[in-house]
Amino acid sequence: MIATPPAPTPSSSGPLLDVRDIGIAFGGLKAVQHFSLSLPKGGLFGLIGPNGAGKTTVFNLLTGVYEAQSGSIMLDGVPLMGLAPDAIACRGLSRTFQNIRLFGQLSVLDNIRLACHCRGKHSLVGTALRSPRFIGQERAMRERAESLLSIFGLQDRMHEPARSLPYGDQRRIEILRAMATEPKVLLLDEPAAGMNPHETKSLAESIRRIRSEFGLTILLIEHDMGLVMDICERITVLDHGCIISEGVPSHVQNDPKVVEAYLGVPTPPAADTPAEKH
Amino acid sequence: MQQLSSRIPSLKPAAGPALGLGVLPYVLCVGFAFLMHFAVGPIVGDFAMSVLLQAGIAIVLAVSLNIINGFTGQFSIGHAGFMAVGGYVAGSISYYTSMILWNSPAPHGGFLGSGQWLMALGCVVGGAAAAGCGYLVGLPSLRLRGDYLAIVTLGFGEIIRVLLQRTQPLLFTREEIVNATASQLFPPPFGGAQGFERIPNSANLFWVFLATAITVVFAVRLKHSSSGRAFLSIREDEIAARAMGVNITKYKVRAFVLAAFFAGIAGGLYAHVVPILRPIDAGFQKSFEVIIMVVLGGMGSVSGVILAAIILTILPELLRDFAQYRLIIYALLLIVMMIVRPQGLFGVREIWDYFPFAKKRSRAA
Repeated sequence: MIATPPAPTPSSSGPLLDVRDIGIAFGGLKAVQHFSLSLPKGGLFGLIGPNGAGKTTVFNLLTGVYEAQSGSIMLDGVPLMGLAPDAIACRGLSRTFQNIRLFGQLSVLDNIRLACHCRGKHSLVGTALRSPRFIGQERAMRERAESLLSIFGLQDRMHEPARSLPYGDQRRIEILRAMATEPKVLLLDEPAAGMNPHETKSLAESIRRIRSEFGLTILLIEHDMGLVMDICERITVLDHGCIISEGVPSHVQNDPKVVEAYLGVPTPPAADTPAEKH
Repeated sequence: MQQLSSRIPSLKPAAGPALGLGVLPYVLCVGFAFLMHFAVGPIVGDFAMSVLLQAGIAIVLAVSLNIINGFTGQFSIGHAGFMAVGGYVAGSISYYTSMILWNSPAPHGGFLGSGQWLMALGCVVGGAAAAGCGYLVGLPSLRLRGDYLAIVTLGFGEIIRVLLQRTQPLLFTREEIVNATASQLFPPPFGGAQGFERIPNSANLFWVFLATAITVVFAVRLKHSSSGRAFLSIREDEIAARAMGVNITKYKVRAFVLAAFFAGIAGGLYAHVVPILRPIDAGFQKSFEVIIMVVLGGMGSVSGVILAAIILTILPELLRDFAQYRLIIYALLLIVMMIVRPQGLFGVREIWDYFPFAKKRSRAA
């Protein structure tokens, strides 16, 4: 793999996002078990695995949609376990969704301004009287929305309802919306889903760019191996809710367990190759 | 990225002019109310006057319900319950204070006289009482959605109606109220099933349209604000709203409290216009009328809801001959709307968004 950007030096205080041994079971189904991840500041890590491996469940655990039944999640030294999704977002962990969840009827501008929510104050008196602070805050939100939209050159479309935009743009707006929350860590759930190779390539550029420009730390789920191997510094592979491999892209690519998870066990002759399985 | 809060000080407008502009619409509301009273009041007859008063109250009710059903996307069908709470509280304050102070339930003082200020005070207290009920009803809305929430709000309205029927049927005289012990005031003497009659008839075009204008200004400002966007985001997608940092618990309750407050004020005015309150006013039928206004006008559209409130107040008056078919027509209207235009006449947009210069305005907002 060429031109993987050098990993920024991790801060002395340890990883920015430190996930230890989290798990959740839905009844008898152990969706995720013993998931650990340590994401250094400025890192760009990937999370891959076959369909149903539990990748999105990991995101849902991290963002509080589900509450982890075991383990611990620390963001910049602050525990996130047991917090509501909105509280987690306000502490700096923001996400996009696998199936786009924009506020369809609201304008693009409103979608992004809304995401500034927990960075502002929203008193009803200030709202009713249009206090100077209220106006200043509205202006700041608008300014942020415009500057974020300009990253992808979408500022001309900010007054259109979000659902009227093409699919690829909606994905970009989801990323921008997540960035508007002032996250420390950005979780991208299949950002390239449904994109053609050309769009995927420009998305890879954009992800690199927003990371370096905004100093973001990114964890992404992706099925597009080209994209993952290209931009991620380290990759965690999940299968059946368990981590089966972890490391730099070249290591993961050649890990027999990963190949097996994706392509299945090679057909016999298995007699003379003692299975290394449990 | 620069922190949002760090940008606010440099983007803040000068305090003086900004506050002036902030208060100006409310000053204009007062001006509008005076205009209604002195310019429109004398030239309309009794019948038109009563329709106007009904329309003003209907606007307050519909615009406030729109905060719950339109902005926040929660389906409440207990709005008349909030209205009745406000009405009975305001009516009883007005009636019994009048009895104690002036020994008569007749409106005391002239235009802007003490009787009318007493009514205004009663309406605000009634609104606060209704807001308290809104808080209580809003709490279950955190766990319930759709039909289930509708059932809870419906139940709330019915509970209020039944409780009001159980109040003491005879209103107290001056001596009785002055000498009443705490136990005699329970259940309170609010007229029982017969209804609370003899409430001072102190509301007029000025007060009704003052409340209407203020409600409308507030609702429009709320819609175009960060709080308003939080409401709208809950309607659009609760999961995404939470993921973007909106505390949906807080905002759902806030929607109920705000809407109930204005409904309570509308109830207070209603009590002083009619001026009789009946337990049935808290019932489903009244709630239904308000819902039709919101659905017809467009869930989330303030101007659309105002228009619908006006139409649906005037139309039944013009079609008095068909009064017995009114609910049938309403139901048919609702069904047709749901099939043909489920988002209402104007959807989430405002009437002026459909004009050619719409873009400019939304940019300026």
